[in-house]
Amino acid sequence: MFLVPVFFGITLLVFSIERLAGDPVQLYTALNPHINEAQRQLLRQSLHLDQPIHIQYLSWLSDLLSLNLGFSYSGGSVAVLISQRLWATLELQLIGLTLSLIIAIPIGILSARKRYSVLDVTITSSSLVGTSIPIFFLGVAAILIFGYNLHWFPSGGFQSSDPSRYLYHNLLLDQAWHLFLPATVYTFAILAPVVLLVRSSMLEVLRQDYILAGRASGLSERSVMYKHGLRNALIPIVTYVGLYFGGLLAGAPVTETVFNWPGVGKLFVDYTTQLDFPVIQAVVVIITLMTLVANLVTDVTYAYIDPRIRLE
Amino acid sequence: MPWILGSGSSEVSALPDPLLHVQNLRTYFFTYAGIVKAVDDISLDVSKGETLGVVGESGSGKTVTAQSILRIVPSPGKIVDGTIEFEGKSLMKLREKDMQRIRGKDIAYVPQDPTSTLDPVYRVGEQLSEVIMRHHVISRKDALAKATDLLRSVEIPDPEIRISQYPHELSGGTKQRIAIARALAGDPVLIIADEPTTALDVTIQAQILDLLKELKNRLNVAMILITHDMGIVADVCDRVTVLYAGQVCESGTVEQVFEKPKHPYTQALLTSVPNLALRKEKLSVIPGNVPNLIEPPSGCRFNPRCPYAQQICIDKVPELEPIGEGRSVHCHRWKELDLKSPVAS
Repeated sequence: MFLVPVFFGITLLVFSIERLAGDPVQLYTALNPHINEAQRQLLRQSLHLDQPIHIQYLSWLSDLLSLNLGFSYSGGSVAVLISQRLWATLELQLIGLTLSLIIAIPIGILSARKRYSVLDVTITSSSLVGTSIPIFFLGVAAILIFGYNLHWFPSGGFQSSDPSRYLYHNLLLDQAWHLFLPATVYTFAILAPVVLLVRSSMLEVLRQDYILAGRASGLSERSVMYKHGLRNALIPIVTYVGLYFGGLLAGAPVTETVFNWPGVGKLFVDYTTQLDFPVIQAVVVIITLMTLVANLVTDVTYAYIDPRIRLE
Repeated sequence: MPWILGSGSSEVSALPDPLLHVQNLRTYFFTYAGIVKAVDDISLDVSKGETLGVVGESGSGKTVTAQSILRIVPSPGKIVDGTIEFEGKSLMKLREKDMQRIRGKDIAYVPQDPTSTLDPVYRVGEQLSEVIMRHHVISRKDALAKATDLLRSVEIPDPEIRISQYPHELSGGTKQRIAIARALAGDPVLIIADEPTTALDVTIQAQILDLLKELKNRLNVAMILITHDMGIVADVCDRVTVLYAGQVCESGTVEQVFEKPKHPYTQALLTSVPNLALRKEKLSVIPGNVPNLIEPPSGCRFNPRCPYAQQICIDKVPELEPIGEGRSVHCHRWKELDLKSPVAS
């Protein structure tokens, strides 16, 4: 139940910090020589920016609690803006996360089983390199090679803008074609740290006597590795995935900007440069909620995985 | 029985009803620091229904020998040489799939540490029935019933309750009993128990030893009991093989070895057993340390710590020599030494 104070604390923090960032009215009107101070004041009034800051906060909060995210300064409902883009973000992130787990777990287990072998050293060192490459670099490099030079994939976007240019004239295929490059880059970026995590966690577990006992009881190698090994090695992996999922939207701005992907991250970047407070606030609230929910799910998963964590 | 004919080096005399025959086994660990020769020419035999004690200090190769027999030596360890014959067939040549059918069914293993011998995330019943179902064609329900019977056979009270408990809810002694029950799940003919009592306190130790003795008599199962405790050997075993630094010092029946040790290391081991009857002021210790197994001492590996060592012991590796009555000794000077047993009556 500590989630509730954490949530309110974060909203307060975000609200006050963004007000320090600047005055959106100045920003909008700076290039217009015909506007005067009285008109600016009117604009502030219409955006409710003339009220004392605690009143602004409380009225925003009460709107929020009645699930009203308000309207963007540039017009349009914030809720609609976000919901239009949330799917694109989730699609990219979930595919990247799922694929990387599916690939990383067997590789990490293999590496742990063959500890110190040439295979293990190769996997470990390439994972270290992979962990050290920032995702925006990987993204730009991939666009340069596969998009710009080879023309295998589009260099950005969610789908072709003109229906006549859809891949094989099929919208779904076209979207998959656009998805391929960002999803691959994402998968690789998450893959490397997960491989290292699975490996070190499995090494710890494989030293235990129950692994030896499982083998000595004639269980198949697969049963020993996955049923007994992986299940016990899962706690740190779940922690990582939980943290990652919480930070999912927070990490999205970089990739989505690189790939011009119309997700929430791109929305966040665009509207931050415009100081559009209602949109920024709403995105941060959603990030906070996702983080809190991810933490909760992680805790519940712990208890499911390990009976020692369950409460009596 | 081809080993009777002798194929060269260290030949152990044949026993009646051989069950397991290990000869010239070498298992090395290939680490960054160098090759650790954990087991370097170990031979031992177990006949049907017999209990063999394998004794030695930490690092003498007891556990690695056991793991080599089952071919479950953890990486980076590898069996590099030797023969392992079980019921007349070579285990070294079996494919991994066929080896899995022997593990837990014909040869069972009880690991050292009862605190981690059971997987913490599954119920006791699940872990036992998993092994039962692996080796018998049986439904999950019947496997659980058999698991309950197994718990009863190792004298665990309230087996119906234990079956649905998790390992962290159980005591060390109960966990060790469950590990023994799991070893019985495939109706084995040979059980390898790796220091089954070391991690337990003294009263529980005695109970576990009684249980092992009782099972051995009731099921007529052969056993390899790995221990560092000569007292346990005297209590439970029929024959004993003494290991030092990955090699055999001597083997023989418990009576022979305790009455008349032939190897200086065995004598030293017997001297260091606390003996109330003798009422010595101090416990005797064997001077020196277990040698580094990456670069073991030349010649006889015990020579740096042996009070009887001479030049030949440094120059030449002794043979494991059969000396009649089923005994064998791995010492250049056993004939001339005529060692006294500190525990002989």
